[in-house]
Amino acid sequence: MKKSAVDTGTRITERSLFYWILRRHRSMQLFLLLIILVSLFFKVFPLEMQKRIINEAIYLKDIELLYLYCGLYIGAVTIAGLLKYAINVLQVYIGQKILLEMREELYQHVLQLPLQFYRKMQPGTVISAMTAELNAIGFFLGGAIAIPVTSVLTFFVFIGFMFNLNPVLALLSIGVYPVELFVIPYLQKKYNRLNSRRVKTTRAMANVVNESISGIHEIHGNTSYSLEEKKLSSFIRQLYDLMKRLFVVKYGIKFANNFFQSLGPFVLFLVGGYMAINGQFTLGALVAFLSAYEKVYDPWKELIEYYQGYQDAQIRYRQIMAIFDLDPPHILLPLNRDVLALQGDISLKNVTFTVPSGVRLLEDISLDIKANEQIALVGYSGSGKSTLALLIAQLYDVSQGNISIDGHLIDELCKMDMGRNVAMIAQQPFIFSGTIAENLLYGVQAVSGGDGFPDRRRILGVIGDVGLQDDIIRFGLQAVLSPEECRPFRDKFLRMREIIQTTLRAEFEQAIEFYDVTKYLYYSSIRDNLVFGDSINREFVVERLPEHPRFVELLRELNLEKPLMTLGFAIATQTINLLSDFKGDEFFFRDNPMEMGEFERYSDLLKRLKGPLPKEAEARKLLLILALRFIPKKHSIVNLPSAMEERILNARHYFQANVVNVAMEHCMKQSDGTPCNKDPRCGEQSGFIPFCPSQYLYTHTLLDNILFGAVKSEQTFDDHLRKLASEAFEDEELLDEVMHIGLDFEVGSKGDRLSGGQKQKLAIARAFLKDAPILIMDEATASLDDTSQARIQGLLEREFKGKKTIIAVIHRLDLTPAYDRIVVLKAGRIVEQGTYDELMKRKGAFYELTRAES
Amino acid sequence: MNSPEQNPEKGCVNQLTDIKGFLNRFYIFSGAPSGVVGLFAYLARQEEYAKGMLIMEEGERCDRIFLIMSGQVDIYQYHDERRFHLQLLSCDSINYFGELALLAEFNWFFSARAWTDVILLSISREAFSKVMEKYPESYQSMVQKIISSRIHRFVDQSSYLLDHIAPEAWQEDPPETSG
Repeated sequence: MKKSAVDTGTRITERSLFYWILRRHRSMQLFLLLIILVSLFFKVFPLEMQKRIINEAIYLKDIELLYLYCGLYIGAVTIAGLLKYAINVLQVYIGQKILLEMREELYQHVLQLPLQFYRKMQPGTVISAMTAELNAIGFFLGGAIAIPVTSVLTFFVFIGFMFNLNPVLALLSIGVYPVELFVIPYLQKKYNRLNSRRVKTTRAMANVVNESISGIHEIHGNTSYSLEEKKLSSFIRQLYDLMKRLFVVKYGIKFANNFFQSLGPFVLFLVGGYMAINGQFTLGALVAFLSAYEKVYDPWKELIEYYQGYQDAQIRYRQIMAIFDLDPPHILLPLNRDVLALQGDISLKNVTFTVPSGVRLLEDISLDIKANEQIALVGYSGSGKSTLALLIAQLYDVSQGNISIDGHLIDELCKMDMGRNVAMIAQQPFIFSGTIAENLLYGVQAVSGGDGFPDRRRILGVIGDVGLQDDIIRFGLQAVLSPEECRPFRDKFLRMREIIQTTLRAEFEQAIEFYDVTKYLYYSSIRDNLVFGDSINREFVVERLPEHPRFVELLRELNLEKPLMTLGFAIATQTINLLSDFKGDEFFFRDNPMEMGEFERYSDLLKRLKGPLPKEAEARKLLLILALRFIPKKHSIVNLPSAMEERILNARHYFQANVVNVAMEHCMKQSDGTPCNKDPRCGEQSGFIPFCPSQYLYTHTLLDNILFGAVKSEQTFDDHLRKLASEAFEDEELLDEVMHIGLDFEVGSKGDRLSGGQKQKLAIARAFLKDAPILIMDEATASLDDTSQARIQGLLEREFKGKKTIIAVIHRLDLTPAYDRIVVLKAGRIVEQGTYDELMKRKGAFYELTRAES
Repeated sequence: MNSPEQNPEKGCVNQLTDIKGFLNRFYIFSGAPSGVVGLFAYLARQEEYAKGMLIMEEGERCDRIFLIMSGQVDIYQYHDERRFHLQLLSCDSINYFGELALLAEFNWFFSARAWTDVILLSISREAFSKVMEKYPESYQSMVQKIISSRIHRFVDQSSYLLDHIAPEAWQEDPPETSG
């Protein structure tokens, strides 16, 4: 017998809207009521003052009385305003707090719903319900009690005040309200019906859009744009029709409100004016009466709006809860016991699984799997092997029969029992947005709640086991680290640089042009040659340099501005001449200082210019930018006049000494990476980081920092060099640090920044790290290349043999000999089982399968 | 298009002109319109290899033609795990290799290494295709030249191998087949 996921109390979807309002944050709500009551006095008091100002101060021409009443009036109005402000803030606070709790509890419930629920449910419906639709309810929640209480009290206080002034007039002016009590609810019911249909149509529309976006590859592939457009357009039209009718009713309600509101003053002026003319009513009383009437309508209007809001929120709430109105099949935590530690002895007795449409996917399956046995489930597509794996993992529930683990019926095990003891790897695993490390520890974190995390050595070990090491190192090498991120590893990274610079220098010199403060660098830009460093605040990026006063001054002082502008002019002219027919093709701009998007801008510039030395600041800037981006050995569009090299080199030293105030002697003297902490003009404290061996360049990738120079060509910086470096680093145990950085690589939404193989390996590592006694693999290595697949298979045999129960759904039969037993399924039934040799000898279903595969 | 009077500074542009002149000396590019050669000069990449360095290896995916600007390149092939020298190319004789890479994607069927310090100019298949898309009228003649230069090289390499074949390997007629 299954147990409900909610042990005590009402299931969340069965709670009423007011359940949340009346049971949450009661003390805050009482405090709010208190403020409301106090505020009532300050709302009525100004009306009394109005009357007295006219009837006493003005009538008696008493200036002092006028000052007093006016002072009291403004004081009361200010306090009423402040209290109103406090009421509003408190209302929103309470509403959002209740909404937060409602959303959290509902999401927890939603996540625990069975997989079958998600097969039927469109993601768009769930997303829309959990976000926008709940938001709309939140606005209502905050004022659910405060608004009606305030409105009713205010209404009666003002009515009382009016009766106090003149009972007849009061009766006449509120005579219209009962009529409204019939008209407004009638219109509101109509509005509710339309609104309910609007919510349904919007959800259906969201589902169509969601499906189109998810299947955009298929749409592009089939050119089915108009087909998809048609699907959506029927909903758009329905929505259009509904919205039209909805607003007709909505504004009808508004018209009725306004009309009834205008009837009051009409009666007041007619009867009150008549009475005032006949001396039966003072002028002051009439003014106060008019103010009270205006004010009495506000709470009335608020009550009507509240009623509308309540109806709307109620409909939305019921519709949201109706979607998720089913019990999670298993409880999350065990009752009155600890989470079980299972051995992995699995028994299936007459298990049948039928989908809601009535199709039987599995029939009468009986199977005993001993603890630590490794089982391969094989069979043709559709034979039910994956379904069987999912049933054992408690992801589906059997229709008939039972499954037990270590003698415990699986139906009676809670989710945490399964989570702790079973690790599952799907054929197409889901990777969450976040870092590699977060994804790796996802399974462990879920069941351990933060305790018992595997240590770094174990994590790195598993990464190596599944063959993810090279990928993680690559991610690490591409990382740009902030000083804080870099600090713990800085010395090790500089040591890696030193290895390249000294031990492996001869090999790397072929592929890398190392930074050397005394030499002109042909594979670096003129900007890098001049500035020879970076500041973390990006003060010296190319685009800002032409406007940097000190830099421009330096160019002028050293007579470099004109040659650079001439160079920029030559680049622009050559590029425009050569590429005018290719300006829309990115390929032609790969090795050009000009970017494709800048072509028109430079083309226009050249039309304006008469020569390479314009006076206009913008033109000078544009030409300088091209020159500063120029890399002599990479950009063949022009060449660097040889006389400039020496001048640029001089300018570099001048710039270091006079603009950024850096001690270049350190760069020149030391090449072993020794930090220069003593000299305040050297290192991070100067704000500028020169390309010196002792400095980590925070604006560059880790790879750039290790290579410490520009790559001459990708062809020469080949696998051989990478391997050499890797071995040298490993000898000194330096690669762990790079991997540590690589673990922080952001994988993107659904792991989009990873390849299919990387995602699969990550999922395998995630499951291995969990170290559960039962491992279920649903074609877990199918998308890996042969080498990676063999590596994982070897690992299962080497590390897990006799230590874990493994149930592997396998498509490639050449992997099956390694398993203790092979279970063959056909059309939802077990047709054969035994060791590889036994089954091959028997020449039955398995033998046929192997023949079909070959 | 830019006005013709907008000419770049002469001191800055001779690299492109030099490469264009260099390309014009090659059979494959000779006779091609100046605009086409100019674009190839612009898209060509200079590669430097020190003596002994591997330039490309048999079995790797081919992607570019190499033109020798200076130095010598050893072309060789492996057969039965033994290395066979096929040709020594230098800037003043047959001064290019890998020309078929411009036409099709395949794996290199020979290897090349720098016999001396070498400076090469390479043009990728992608660059070749991009330029030919714009100048389709030049395509046929260039393909013809690439193929005939390949035949020329094949003849040259065959002659070299025949010159070095062991006397007992000579056969004027096909061997007798039994049955």
